[in-house]
Amino acid sequence: MRSLISTLPGRVGTVLAVILLVAWSLGPIYWSLVTSLTPPLHLLGAPSLWPHQITFEHYAKLFGATSLSQGNAVQSVWPQFSAALANSLITSVLATVVTVAIAAFGAYAFVRLEFPGRDLLFVAVVATLAIPAYTVMIPLYRLMISLKLIDTYTGITLIYVSAFLPLALWLMRSVYQAMPISLEEAAWLDGAGRVYTLVHIVLPLAAPGLIASAILTFLNAWGQFMVPLVFSPTLATKPLTVLIPEFVTRNYIDFGLMNAAGILAIIPPVLLVLFLNRYLVSGLMAGATK
Amino acid sequence: MPSSSPRRSRKPGELVLAAALVVPIVAIMGGLVFWPLATSVLDSFYRVDPMRPGTPFVGLANYSGLLADGNVQTAWLNTFAYVAMAVVLETIGGMGAALLLNRVKHGRQWLLAITVLPWCLPPVVNAIVWMWIFNPSYGLLNHALLWLGVIDARKVWFNDQATALFLVSLVHVWRMMPLTAVILLAALQSIPRDLYEAARLDGAGPIKSFRLVTLPLIAGGIAIALSQSTVFAFNLFDEAWILSGSSLDTRSVIIQVYLTAFQNLRFSSGMALSILAMIASLLVSLIYVLRVYRETRYD
Repeated sequence: MRSLISTLPGRVGTVLAVILLVAWSLGPIYWSLVTSLTPPLHLLGAPSLWPHQITFEHYAKLFGATSLSQGNAVQSVWPQFSAALANSLITSVLATVVTVAIAAFGAYAFVRLEFPGRDLLFVAVVATLAIPAYTVMIPLYRLMISLKLIDTYTGITLIYVSAFLPLALWLMRSVYQAMPISLEEAAWLDGAGRVYTLVHIVLPLAAPGLIASAILTFLNAWGQFMVPLVFSPTLATKPLTVLIPEFVTRNYIDFGLMNAAGILAIIPPVLLVLFLNRYLVSGLMAGATK
Repeated sequence: MPSSSPRRSRKPGELVLAAALVVPIVAIMGGLVFWPLATSVLDSFYRVDPMRPGTPFVGLANYSGLLADGNVQTAWLNTFAYVAMAVVLETIGGMGAALLLNRVKHGRQWLLAITVLPWCLPPVVNAIVWMWIFNPSYGLLNHALLWLGVIDARKVWFNDQATALFLVSLVHVWRMMPLTAVILLAALQSIPRDLYEAARLDGAGPIKSFRLVTLPLIAGGIAIALSQSTVFAFNLFDEAWILSGSSLDTRSVIIQVYLTAFQNLRFSSGMALSILAMIASLLVSLIYVLRVYRETRYD
């Protein structure tokens, strides 16, 4: 291996492979960004890899009260867009907080406490990772209708929590299992109770795992499409992922607008990858391999 | 599996605490996953149809109806095509990316972040970005291929079923390949360095040491990656739905479930189909796991 890397052809090959991987991963996102900054008329011409003239009019359509389209003032989509953005944020954050809280405390019980049926329950919960969400969607739909939870934050959050809890639980259990028990035992000898020890000693030590679970849950919730497509029929809870494709159903497909909305929708995930990449990758690796 | 619980005498308070911590999990998973799953299985033997009165027992009628339905058969074939293409491309691409990431010394964290990014984005946005690239009149793909001289006239990509299936798979692969790469990278990093040294001293070249050292040691990772790719490709919905809606050419089994249940309001038929899809996806991933373990274990 080493001799291969140190040779020149090997090195050139590695560099080419890196360029290819970066172009494959970032190319489409870059192209979307360029499109969102290109004037509508230029979108109909030959594409150029760099916008010759930068415009913010697609973003203005999303943010302005009214906007100009071919010389006419038109109603902007800001009311819908802002509502959907708020819905995306609210449901994703709620799902993340509830999921991580339940997983943080629940996983502790699965690792450190003895209770009947412990292992069976854990296996049953984690096994649902292999059950696709749509298998339970139809009964869930009827259940949510009877509970009057269709198109409510509570309903959406509950569904997200039930879908993402197994992964978070799995992650947090592996975090606690890797933790030495001696610290907790020292606290118990000092007279600290279980709950006090859990909150003040165990949870702070488990912070990287908590962050990883939170990121994975947030990303999953933020990207959800099929669940809100069924359970969020109106703008009361409709998220960006359901709203943005609806821009297609106007008389023509406004690709500038859709790409601008798409770029805005990927800002939270991009920020997470930029700043918390370490936790994200460790979470993915732990979740996938343990 | 060694139990990591402390060897302490059990206090009565411990049981109460455990119950308090676990009850939310039991309630949520029981109420929103296990109960609906059981209902799904049971109701698939009844006629549950909001447009018709009563829910009579119909035995296997929902299942036999599915077998006879031409649209359902097409959806199955499309899904198998998605699974085949996605699993092959994700495994090859993910393996390449993992080997590269494992080799790169400088800026590996950044390359890893860039590689993982597509997985983190909403699938809907990915599909929209690619839809614009595939646009017949103004899309980048037609322009690039015309410029390169590969084609001599603009193509309407989604007019041809095979091409449409491939392009939907490609968008799916773009999103899911990072997961395969990360799983395989984790497996690669667990291989001790000195094994390669030993292989090199024994005169093994890079290809031979990959086959004899790397592959057997990452077999577990490959099995996990293959099952993940399969399950996700079986569940393909977002990409196909955004790129060409309910079109039969690209309709996956899950889109068929969605249309049956939520547009045609034939709930029990949709439940039967979703049960079949779940079983199929579980079986296929089980086969991988068993085969990979059998072929690579040490005797």
